[in-house]
Amino acid sequence: MPLKALDIYKLLPKKNCKECGDPTCLTFAMKLAAGKADLDLCPYLDDNAKSVLGATTRPPIKLVKLGVGERSFAVGEEFVLYRHDKTFYHPPGIMFAVFDTQSEEEIAAVTARVRDETLTRVGADLKFSGTAIVNTSGTVEAYTKAVAAVEKTAGLPEVLVTENPAALAAALVQCGSYRPLICAATPENYRQMCALAKQYGCRLVVRAPTLDGLARLTKDCAAEGVQNLVLDLEPKTLGDFLYRSTALRQLTITRAVPDLGFPVYLDAMAFDDEDAAIALGIVKYASVIVTKPLAPASAKAALTLRQNIYTDPQKPIQMNPGLYRVGTPGKDAPVLMTVNFSLTYFTLQGYLESTRIPCFMLIVDTEGLSVLTSVAAGKLNEMLVRDAIKKFGVENEVSHRKLIIPGYAAPLSGRIEEATGWKVLVGPRDAAEIGEFLVQEWKP
Amino acid sequence: MIPEPNFGWTGSVGDVVLGATRSDGGTRSRSYRIGGGTTLPFMEKGGTFPSPLVVFEICDDPRYWSPIVNDFCGDLVHDPAAWAKTAETTYGADLVRLCLTSTRQRDFSDIPSLGKTTDAVLASTSLPLIIEGSNEPKIDSEVFQKCGEAGQGEHLLLGTAEAGRYRSIAAAALAYNHAIIAQSPIDINLAKQLNILLKEIGVPRDHIVIDPYTGALGYGFEYSYSAMERIRFSALKGDADLAMPMICAPSDSLSIKEVREADAGTRNAIAVEWEFTTSLAAAIAGAEIVCVRHPDTVRRLKAAFGALNTRTGGA
Repeated sequence: MPLKALDIYKLLPKKNCKECGDPTCLTFAMKLAAGKADLDLCPYLDDNAKSVLGATTRPPIKLVKLGVGERSFAVGEEFVLYRHDKTFYHPPGIMFAVFDTQSEEEIAAVTARVRDETLTRVGADLKFSGTAIVNTSGTVEAYTKAVAAVEKTAGLPEVLVTENPAALAAALVQCGSYRPLICAATPENYRQMCALAKQYGCRLVVRAPTLDGLARLTKDCAAEGVQNLVLDLEPKTLGDFLYRSTALRQLTITRAVPDLGFPVYLDAMAFDDEDAAIALGIVKYASVIVTKPLAPASAKAALTLRQNIYTDPQKPIQMNPGLYRVGTPGKDAPVLMTVNFSLTYFTLQGYLESTRIPCFMLIVDTEGLSVLTSVAAGKLNEMLVRDAIKKFGVENEVSHRKLIIPGYAAPLSGRIEEATGWKVLVGPRDAAEIGEFLVQEWKP
Repeated sequence: MIPEPNFGWTGSVGDVVLGATRSDGGTRSRSYRIGGGTTLPFMEKGGTFPSPLVVFEICDDPRYWSPIVNDFCGDLVHDPAAWAKTAETTYGADLVRLCLTSTRQRDFSDIPSLGKTTDAVLASTSLPLIIEGSNEPKIDSEVFQKCGEAGQGEHLLLGTAEAGRYRSIAAAALAYNHAIIAQSPIDINLAKQLNILLKEIGVPRDHIVIDPYTGALGYGFEYSYSAMERIRFSALKGDADLAMPMICAPSDSLSIKEVREADAGTRNAIAVEWEFTTSLAAAIAGAEIVCVRHPDTVRRLKAAFGALNTRTGGA
């Protein structure tokens, strides 16, 4: 059971020395209780306090950092089964595989793509996370060359996929200090893998087809001195992954099996439909996903799904109310009023852009509610519209006095006309029909 | 020994039957009993549970349909009966959803044509059918009356009831024993409210399928995903007013910017990828029926659902 802040405080030195970065031992205790601070930050803990607190104040899933520098990323430290319960904090790294049977040019091209490719959506730059270098040849020489080709091209996070300790040792000579993820330790080879991981301070994937087996293996690795682990559930089907990954998340967030408190690895290449495996991994708790380089459509969908699922669901997504321009509208351009729910805004904006008719969007403050909901709740009303027209100076921008309102706001049309003196045109309910509507109905 | 996951659920999702075979008074070659889930999707004990159903959507006026689908399907789009047949035999769909887009024309009044189209589609395919009525509340009553009558005995699924617009469709469903889709705008409380309204006018629980509304991937899908998870969670926690199966129709997928503005070479692939990713994630969140418009999406989804529904071991 997790300890309360006051129980933790009793075990702290109570010196208020500030060396942990917190002003007092009590505030540090509160952070520990919330899983937001690391016990090691306190230099004065006695052994008893360490052993009592160690097990209960760690985040239920360990934070594991991959790579160094600008593109490094951290996974783990998640707390919930459902994103709506809080949020998912650390989006999975999606790693493109290169194989040491490919030419140096091919390997460099994939690496450069991961380095450069960017999808910009809703103000964020979305990128793939790194490369996974696979020892398909089984030889040391080819593997060393492949790792060199990747290293020469970019300083991205890497997964070293090989079961051959000699090949791994040779690869680590080149990239061992850049925090790569070694894949994978099994019950058979874990001693050798742990020795290398420890020597270079690497992260290590451990692989077993049951949670029992994984719990044993993480204990064995800890005994060898390797703590930064990632779990490969070794699923044979999508159903295996979903079942085991969900079971694992449930067991770890309740701290039922502390030995399993690590992020999850998913090799999407093991499945017939890689895109399906990636989507499943994103929604169901994978933290490192390895895939072949994706075709453009699959790449866009994967990055978009990851962005969607890892958006904070508690933050109402709102636009700032105001007058927005689509194209360069003139004095006789149409004015379309809608709510400040960002989804509504972006959807309507997208359709307006594709009509190529320059226009104004008047975004009123419904506190992020959709049209339907804000009409039902009375948030969207004639006063709000009247005030927005005044506040945002719409009368100076256009010479006409006509306002297009959303189809679902039709019940308000009479009252908006009375309150504003503008003529109201009721637009379609579905933003997809706005182009046709403007062509047929709009005259300044 | 690691225990199998236990979430302590006390409730389950109720059943809804779609379609009627001869023995049930209809003419369909099969019917489906959806719902019945007792835990999170694809987590049932033993691992054998029906896969989510894949619906292919067709329309009776392709002027109001995605040009991508119209190009891909060719002349079929002008013949709903032949299109429905192809959905069954070639695309491999589990159900067909006939969207009566002809009603979107200005001052549409040719109600008898809707009955004829429904008859023709019922005759050409033996799959259970979903019928999606008009966009125009003024003609709802006539439209649903006509389709409901044409499909009498077939246990159709009729769409779509919304708060403030459910009486006509409910009347047709009650009169001719069809099930209905109840749609609310991505909000668990509004979904529950609508179900209660439907209950109050006599629509039985086992005749309601919840549509929490599916925003397209990148355009609010995260809200839909969580709304579906919350509805499933509430059902499993014992809230009978939310314990109905869910339907997901990511039909916005084909009109988003990414798809519209894609070049000719990748447009089909992006359309399919968007429908596929959205539907797959929705099924994992709890949708028992997913509806798509691109033929290539159907098989991919069926294969993925099969793989999700296969387990080789426990935890």
